[in-house]
Amino acid sequence: MSRIVMRFTGVGGQGVLLAGEIFAAAKIKAGGFGVKTATYTSQVRGGPTVVDIQLDDHEIWYPYAIDGQIDFMLSVADKSYQLFKNGVREGGIIVIDPNLVYPTEEDRKKWKIIEIPIITIAKEEVGVVLTQSVIALAIANTIMHAVDEKLLIDTMLSKVPPKFHEANLKAYELGKKYALEALEKLEEAKA
Amino acid sequence: MSDTREVISSGNELAALAAYDSGCLFYGGYPITPSSEVMHAMTDLMPKAGGAAVQMEDEIGGVAAAIGAAMAGVRSMTATSGPGISLKAENLGLAQMAEVPLVVVNVMRGGPSTGLPTRVAQGDVAQAKNPSHGDYKSITLCPGTLAECYTEVVRAFNLADRFMQPVFVLLDETLGHMHAKAIIPTAEKVKSEIKPRKTFDGDPKDYKPYGVGDDEPAILNPMFSGYRYNFTGLHHDADGFPTEEKETCRKLIDRLFRKVDAHRDEIESNEEFMLDDAEILLIGYGSASLAIKEAVVRLRDEGIKAGLFRPITLWPSPEKRLYELGQKFDKVLVVELNQGQYYEEIQRAMARHNIEKLTKTNGRPFSPQDIIDKVKEVF
Repeated sequence: MSRIVMRFTGVGGQGVLLAGEIFAAAKIKAGGFGVKTATYTSQVRGGPTVVDIQLDDHEIWYPYAIDGQIDFMLSVADKSYQLFKNGVREGGIIVIDPNLVYPTEEDRKKWKIIEIPIITIAKEEVGVVLTQSVIALAIANTIMHAVDEKLLIDTMLSKVPPKFHEANLKAYELGKKYALEALEKLEEAKA
Repeated sequence: MSDTREVISSGNELAALAAYDSGCLFYGGYPITPSSEVMHAMTDLMPKAGGAAVQMEDEIGGVAAAIGAAMAGVRSMTATSGPGISLKAENLGLAQMAEVPLVVVNVMRGGPSTGLPTRVAQGDVAQAKNPSHGDYKSITLCPGTLAECYTEVVRAFNLADRFMQPVFVLLDETLGHMHAKAIIPTAEKVKSEIKPRKTFDGDPKDYKPYGVGDDEPAILNPMFSGYRYNFTGLHHDADGFPTEEKETCRKLIDRLFRKVDAHRDEIESNEEFMLDDAEILLIGYGSASLAIKEAVVRLRDEGIKAGLFRPITLWPSPEKRLYELGQKFDKVLVVELNQGQYYEEIQRAMARHNIEKLTKTNGRPFSPQDIIDKVKEVF
């Protein structure tokens, strides 16, 4: 496998850090290398946050994603989206929550932009807003096939308290469902 | 059974785990970004070890409590970031003068002052050499990988007990917060290699804690164990009592230098990466070396033979090896996340001025491309 580079962006407090840790841990458990770094501002809540995830079969030294080489970005806050979108390579995939992120027409030509209302799904369909990071995890893996799904889910469950296992499993399934639907739509549009 | 284990963790958490495995029983501190996870982990680990982690009223209280615990005979640690070291400076000078073993982790962020709290820098390298007033010899270790965030803290505890003084471990925001795989020694292996500080077992009447050889550290028995001595930041005699007697004062400071200088071989540690056949010498340390390694590999893909020399012990500097490398390589580039704090030391050690430097002080890490571009620009 060549290197997969993903970036999750949001604002402080949304829990985007956890998804990165889960990805890295799952890849390492599969015998590969995974690195997560987070960059955030000194603003306690609401500052732009970016999590870079690199997965590879070979050792990774430099821990940050390099702008222009990012294959996949997921964003749930417009200011983070605007700040970090240019790191995504041309033709790369960007998943956004359309209620919170507003790409331009030019953006839509440059990248494959997929709209999934992540926060609404977490709030209304799962009923636990904190599960948004697991929905994001499911979307990213369904689209990128980054790591073995069972390993990813097991790793995720090992990092959340048992009383939230059910909600997070539901969140994963919903994220996967929405991602598959979005991929179908993308195929249809191409055809 | 294997002597190593695989863990998935961050630099800050590994530093705390290393303290726990090294037999540390006390943590005194005050949380500060980007070091706070060290304290979070220590508050979890210390009670499990039968020790204690105390959040004091501020950074000064944190180091003062840690010094007190070390005086009582246990391995003790504090962790902070640059602004915290500024506050702890006076007490760190006390620990140097009174010869108190202590591990001080500094997870560097952008400075000066409160600077850039959440961003990476290597701006405290000069500070670690002389954090307070007065003459003494710093021992400062600088991990460059996640695994070294563990192994260098282990080494710091052993060096602190060997040389009876604070030992700095300089992490930075990148290493402290990056989360990945690390292969580290097992706890059993670390425990089996613990070298506790020397104690005096003779008649308490004959106990002279500071009456040691001219290149030896003080022998401080745990306080309240029947061996009485005075503890002071003033110049002191063999019993620790204040004195201004001129020969005693001279010998004391000479000894604080000599105990380190005469045993540099026990302290020095470096990595040489693809250096054997290199034509261009890159020098860097800490998290910057991660970008340098990637740059070295990519430069070699293009036929440019670069190599990296990475000091792991920053103070005392590897001056002999630096001098040799300065003689061997015409093309030398120093890469650091400050305006050249170690660059000046390298110039001194190499006894030459024609050394290139690449620096950055905006809180952002170097990318491998930054380094590749600089190499192509200057050589």
